[in-house]
Amino acid sequence: MTTIDSPASLRSAGLEGERHRVIGDARVLAGLDQGRLDLQRHLLTHGPQPELTRDDYVQLCEAVGLRGRGGAAFPVALKLQDLPARGVEAVVVNGSESEPVSRKDRLLLTRSPHLVLDGAVGLAHALRAPHVLIAVHDPAAATSLREALMERDDQLAIEVRDTPGRFVAGEARAVLSVLEGGTAVPPGRRVLPTRRGYHRRPTFLSNVETFAQLAVLARLGSRGFSSTGLTSEPGTQLLTIDGAVQRPGVIETPTGVPLDTVLQYAGAEPGPVLLGGYHGRWLPQTDGVLLQRPEVSAGIILALGSGTCPLGEVTRVAEWLRSQSAGQCGPCVFGLASLVDDFARLTIGDSQGWYDAQRHLGLIPGRGACAHPDGAARFLTSALEVFDDDVRRHLSGQGCGRPVLGVLPVPGGTR
Amino acid sequence: MNKVEIDWTRCDGHGLCAGLLPDDVVLDEWGFPVLRGREITAGELPDARRAVLACPALALRLSSR
Repeated sequence: MTTIDSPASLRSAGLEGERHRVIGDARVLAGLDQGRLDLQRHLLTHGPQPELTRDDYVQLCEAVGLRGRGGAAFPVALKLQDLPARGVEAVVVNGSESEPVSRKDRLLLTRSPHLVLDGAVGLAHALRAPHVLIAVHDPAAATSLREALMERDDQLAIEVRDTPGRFVAGEARAVLSVLEGGTAVPPGRRVLPTRRGYHRRPTFLSNVETFAQLAVLARLGSRGFSSTGLTSEPGTQLLTIDGAVQRPGVIETPTGVPLDTVLQYAGAEPGPVLLGGYHGRWLPQTDGVLLQRPEVSAGIILALGSGTCPLGEVTRVAEWLRSQSAGQCGPCVFGLASLVDDFARLTIGDSQGWYDAQRHLGLIPGRGACAHPDGAARFLTSALEVFDDDVRRHLSGQGCGRPVLGVLPVPGGTR
Repeated sequence: MNKVEIDWTRCDGHGLCAGLLPDDVVLDEWGFPVLRGREITAGELPDARRAVLACPALALRLSSR
């Protein structure tokens, strides 16, 4: 195991909190121990991007079972195969990392922009797509990308675009809507970007880390890529760990690493753990849990610790999830508002709040243009299950006797 | 193989669909449709078409899959 902390120069450059560590071999985070990789240091670390054909990419992705790293964990090979043989309009890098806790995409874009660009440009050449678009909402990431683009000549139209930071704005079709000058909300019809994406033409869209992994895969080949991690989905993954931990930040690990190893490594306090971010699930226990897709989603691990009131924390997040609704779909708007109220009532001991929450949690899933209501309901449902004992104590009218410390980060909140 | 579908970005909860297709659509406590999710049989098709046309928000669709 190696530990790499960011040097003081980068901390002073406003990149504080962008600490990263590696368990096993560094792949997408290789060479970052001395800070950002400019083109020269990128080439020294990773070597040049091989020119591969579209068939090569499909075969490589199929051989290693590569899945998208944005959260939905869709197999990349299937996405590539769904594209038509010709007429692919664009490759879109979704860097609008909208899960508030996730830092991995920002870390890649600010420190290793050339690796992400190699992945996107290499694939665009293979697909003969004339456009590469990179959607970001973080100013430091945008600056880093623009600096990187000045250093290279890819014979392609590459654009860096700023998108809003709202949770729902990171949804793939919302990103496409913004790129075309529309509003950052998902459209009502479920169309696949591979069929109707940018300019209503076939588009390959994936998360930032997916492109970094593609760049690594193109260099290593399927056998080299498969030298670490699970046999079903080999390679490495980026995780973001936060909450009640001594060393928060991004960690690169082999796929399938035990959750307990990562918790121990980050110095997590004992207590409940949330896997998959605010659309994820609270875990009943951590031993025996292996970190793999789809459960690990976008790679967010939050340790709650034992000093804070779980229901109070969950209610704060519920309020934030409500505020992040795009406001388009009735069940999401009214359902999430009702759930915030239900959780607030059950926290002060109103048993009707518990019954209402159960009913509302059943009413929300599947009834929206995007997966936001489903994800929010999943998070809240698992909270009621895992924090069953706390719920009982709150419903007895005594509360759990713990303050709400704000361990779960909420943008615009106390942390 | 017909089913009714809702474009949630358009639906404003007028509730006409629940009146016209009581076997397929019920309203939740906020007045938004809850679909039973079952197939629309050939006999119900005219009613379903009527409901689609009646939706003031153009949010109801018949999908054939």
